[in-house]
Amino acid sequence: MEIIETHELTKEFNGLVAVDRVTFSVKRGEIFGFLGPNGAGKTTTINMLTTLLLPTSGRAYISGFDVVREAAQVRRRIGLVPQEIVLEGDLTARQNLLFHGMLYGMSRREVEEKIPELLELVGLRERADSKVRTFSGGMKRRLELVKVLVHEPEVIFLDEPTIGLDPQTRRKIWEYIQILNRERDVTIFLTTHYMEEADYLCDRICIIDHGKILDIDTPRKLKDRIGEGDIIEVEVSGKGERFAEMLAKECGCQIKKVEGNSITVSAKRGEYALKEIFSLADRLGVEVASISVREPTLEDVFIHYTGRSIREETTAGGSMMKYLARRLKH
Amino acid sequence: MSFLRELYVVFWKEMLLWINNPMLPVVRALVFPMMWIVIFGSAFGGEVNHIPLAVVAGDAGELSAEYISVLNTGTTLDIKSTNLATAEKMLKSREVYGVLYIPEDFSSKLIAGERVSVVLSLDETTPQIASAIVAHVTSVTQRFSKDIALAGDRVVVEKNTLFGRGIEYLDYLAPGVVMMTILFSAFFSGGMNLILDREFGTLKMLMVSPISRDAIILGKIFAGVVQSITSGIVALIVAILMGVHLKSGATGIAMIILLMFIAGFGFIGMSTAIGTRITELEQLMVMMMVIIMPMWFLSGGLYPLESMPDWMRPLAIVNPMTYATDAARAIMIRGIIWESLVLDLLIISTFAVAMFLIGSYSFKKTLGGVK
Ligand SMILES: Nc1ncnc2c1ncn2[C@@H]1O[C@H](COP(=O)(O)OP(=O)(O)O)[C@@H](O)[C@H]1O
Ligand SMILES: [Mg+2]
Repeated sequence: MEIIETHELTKEFNGLVAVDRVTFSVKRGEIFGFLGPNGAGKTTTINMLTTLLLPTSGRAYISGFDVVREAAQVRRRIGLVPQEIVLEGDLTARQNLLFHGMLYGMSRREVEEKIPELLELVGLRERADSKVRTFSGGMKRRLELVKVLVHEPEVIFLDEPTIGLDPQTRRKIWEYIQILNRERDVTIFLTTHYMEEADYLCDRICIIDHGKILDIDTPRKLKDRIGEGDIIEVEVSGKGERFAEMLAKECGCQIKKVEGNSITVSAKRGEYALKEIFSLADRLGVEVASISVREPTLEDVFIHYTGRSIREETTAGGSMMKYLARRLKH
Repeated sequence: MSFLRELYVVFWKEMLLWINNPMLPVVRALVFPMMWIVIFGSAFGGEVNHIPLAVVAGDAGELSAEYISVLNTGTTLDIKSTNLATAEKMLKSREVYGVLYIPEDFSSKLIAGERVSVVLSLDETTPQIASAIVAHVTSVTQRFSKDIALAGDRVVVEKNTLFGRGIEYLDYLAPGVVMMTILFSAFFSGGMNLILDREFGTLKMLMVSPISRDAIILGKIFAGVVQSITSGIVALIVAILMGVHLKSGATGIAMIILLMFIAGFGFIGMSTAIGTRITELEQLMVMMMVIIMPMWFLSGGLYPLESMPDWMRPLAIVNPMTYATDAARAIMIRGIIWESLVLDLLIISTFAVAMFLIGSYSFKKTLGGVK
């Protein structure tokens, strides 16, 4: 049996179906991600898997234990880092860990022995005796990550682990999550609405929207699924419509979007298509104002399935670009 | 893990949080009572009315009967004529605030033109009431003396206080303030703590852990009780340092703490019940204004209930704080006289048990998640 298995798991809130007959399984040792926009049902799913919420219908098992009928067994095997920080600000880092361990039936000594090593893991050893309220957001997140390790769970649930953190801190948290997964052998179930995060961290991703699963696979395969090699965004000085037409006809590119003189196409081989684009521009007598080639992102996958962008504020995944947009003067 | 151990873990965390911030909880609980004392303590001054007073007529003569009827004019006193033994019992159990004794030779001495004294035994626990009785009896007696004997000083009132030295307003106020400290502290440690727990999600930590749900509920309630009692004890110490009179020494202190414990359970239960039914801090503040404040004002803690208008008195009668304050005052000022304590303790205990059950039931109902 897999470490997490669900079967048609469903949650309704007064008629609103927040999670809709969700079936998936997570393998022991993997980092599994739930990727979806706000309100997709990610937190609701986590709450059901962690016994915080009673499912309306369907089943879920952790390590073979039913989350409803064998809640006590399930609770012993899981750790949860909820979306909002739930450390006690008035307690020190050490006291927070101590209390956590004691909740799981560990003796004070047992926990004390683990504390230095755990804090070391996330670089907080010197801050063991500072009150948590003096910590930065990133430090609190790190402390939470090791806090749930105190009782040695088989799987930890991270609900939006980097929400509200700056990019640099986010990167650090990603590293720590990988360390926990590799060095501690914990299975990780995380939710996120940052596609870069899912892409970077997850062995497998489940794309979810409106409570329904759209697809589950490795990031690579998900991106391959939309069929084409690279995404090219080009801006020309004029004749946009005509340029796009010719591109499709002569270079074997697939038009994704045309907005005036800005054209987005996909091409099997980006480097090759670039040459064609420049020679086409020459022939049409227009200039290429800017051009970029990038790999398809999970964002493109999400758009492929829903026709919508995953985030309200659309920012192309800058860090994921294969070639950074360069202004090319002809 | 045994249930007791689980209980201890939850309790320990709550206490640790509380201790980590040592001044705040006690100060928070003390600030309000102190503020009210300063602001209102001196400003209150309602007329006291319908004060029960026992009259023992040792003389069955006409003059004595007339004197009693004169005493009965106006609304200040409710005269209860009775015999000496009953009157003393009534005074002890607080059915009356004083006993006026008319001697056997009242009529005969007056007729003979001699001077006669009536004896007024007073329960000075409530200084405002004692002085109202004295004022009324003295002026009525003077008038009576003038009418009958054409001299104002023929009938004299001899005062006799029951509980030692004169009681001052501070002595009167202190027991109520101690109880109020517990009430307020319970409000913060119970209801507000729950709401903050939900708001900050710290309850989730307990909910996802394998600890039993009953341990979560009881651990929090017990911690709340201990925290409120501690605040109450601090208030008591402050009162003693300020020179408040404590009648019955060590036994009295033990009794007061027992009373605090019972009341603490009641108030924590009540505030837990409120806290589980509310999600917003603002709503809690409204609850504070419509429930907790009136409980304090209508408890007789600041000024005797007898000074309240009639329509308000039923509110005081259904107010558990009334009995908590009355019991605390009885123990602190009068000493442990069971006749005057039994009813109070009975009511408080009933309230405590009921509120504890309601609070923990409501907590359990709203806890959510898989049981
Ligand atoms: N306790 C609740 N009562 C009613 N509706 C809820 C509740 N919790 C979540 N929802 C709704 O369920 C949907 C999914 O929410 P959630 O699981 O929090 O999404 P996500 O975590 O993916 O942002 C949303 O439409 C949300 O408004
Ligand atoms: Mg969420």
